[in-house]
Amino acid sequence: MTASVPEVDFSKAHEMQPYLTEPEQMYVGAPGKHGYLKLRFALDSTGKSILREIDRRVPLIAQQELYFDEELPGMPCLYILSSGGPNVDGDRYQQDIIVEKDAMGWISTGAATKLAEMKFNYSGMIQNITLDEGAYLEFMPEPVFPCRHTRFICDTKLTVHPTATVLYSEIYMSGRKYYGKGEMFDYDILSVHSHGHRPDGTPLFNEKFIIEPSKLHPQQLGVMGNYEIFANVIVMAPKEVFEKVYAEVTPRIDRENGIATGITTLPNDAGLLFKVLGSNTGKIKKEVRQFASKVRMAVKGKPLPEEFPWR
Amino acid sequence: MSTPTDSIMHLLQFTDSTFPVGTFSFSNGLETAAFENIVTDAASLREFTESQARQAAFTDGVAAIHAHRAFMNSDYELAAEADRALFRFKMNAEARLMLQRMGKKFAELASHLFESELISKWLEDIKANVVPGTFPVAQGLAYAAAGVNERDLFCAHQYGVINMVLSAALRIVRVSHYDTQKILFDLAKQTDEFYTQAASMELKDMNAFFPQLDIIASLHEKGNMRMFMN
Repeated sequence: MTASVPEVDFSKAHEMQPYLTEPEQMYVGAPGKHGYLKLRFALDSTGKSILREIDRRVPLIAQQELYFDEELPGMPCLYILSSGGPNVDGDRYQQDIIVEKDAMGWISTGAATKLAEMKFNYSGMIQNITLDEGAYLEFMPEPVFPCRHTRFICDTKLTVHPTATVLYSEIYMSGRKYYGKGEMFDYDILSVHSHGHRPDGTPLFNEKFIIEPSKLHPQQLGVMGNYEIFANVIVMAPKEVFEKVYAEVTPRIDRENGIATGITTLPNDAGLLFKVLGSNTGKIKKEVRQFASKVRMAVKGKPLPEEFPWR
Repeated sequence: MSTPTDSIMHLLQFTDSTFPVGTFSFSNGLETAAFENIVTDAASLREFTESQARQAAFTDGVAAIHAHRAFMNSDYELAAEADRALFRFKMNAEARLMLQRMGKKFAELASHLFESELISKWLEDIKANVVPGTFPVAQGLAYAAAGVNERDLFCAHQYGVINMVLSAALRIVRVSHYDTQKILFDLAKQTDEFYTQAASMELKDMNAFFPQLDIIASLHEKGNMRMFMN
């Protein structure tokens, strides 16, 4: 007996109004086009963090938790995979991730997320990430590749207890740079909304960005400048944690490595926002990991391990 | 009641650079952009200013429009919500500080100039930390009180953002008055389209994608350059 999958519908979003035609291929939300994932981390009776609950619908797949983090061997690590390949026209996804009191977890994706070319509709995703008292989560997926004429909208709700810490990172590529004649900023729209709340519902911050390259080229000065790749990292954490991390991070424009980084504090003492611009995926990921390592050090007293050589 | 002539006079007064809300002490990140050789001439200044104007249009501009509507409908809660929503949508700590400093000053001036219960209550709530007291909301309320319509308010808001950057530019970038006036004149042409879009947006639709501006602001926030406050 499995619960029904929640509806994912962005038809009310003003920026998606041009993209509401029913696809000629499989209809919106058809079986296999409506992925759902529920992951609940909790402590077992011995105090070890485990994946207590997993519920999944194709094309989303998560297997069992593994304990491969050499710096935090007690942390369950999980890869989210998709059996469907890229996100296609009319796909809907929802991911509900819960970390219970004092538990911890690490989540990534097995490979980059490709957003395929779309003609009729859009691909939408809702994420609900909830952390109870003292919980800790690192959410660090591989980059997102928006292909030509893709349309993607994502709404991420982070509900975090004042004593818990979540690190939520995203990396957006400009497209398939080396495919055919090259696709850079050829997508129709990326709409990304991440918002933080306390468990009692108090809203803390909203970060919403809409990128429509045909209306304003992302490489305009002030938008991304000459850079091609953009990483965004939200950290919600107790004040003593985020103040420590904030003090340790120096924003910089590093012309030699083609990297620019910035850090600021979120409204209402919610935490930190760290941004990276660059044109080399490896260097961007390294910046994100170095930052994540400082966060982990401030909370758990341990750094991130060396990245696997094949990642 | 303001006559149309009164309203235009008030509009000119509030947009004037000598109107004491402190616009002259901010550069919106231009100080850092100039130091980092990102803005070096009239062409790069134009792009930088255009990005600033666009960023403001769909955040500050939307909040100002909703505050204006709140005043027209005597709906204090809507004004307070526009204020809080804008604060939550401002991802950059220095920008929040700037909007609050200028907002409180404008609120104090407005409550001195107008007899408005709504504006007085808002100022009390700013002082009691019940609302953040952001500048665009102060603009929305004060311009409405002065009888200035919503479109003209939006124009004043855009003019303020653009002029703040260009005034600072004269002091820190190698550009002439001819350059800055040409940029100001040309950027006026985008305002109509921005207004049409901003006027159709709800508070929850506010959005901004200007990571390079955010990074520049962050360099200033953690740096020691202090000719301008941001």
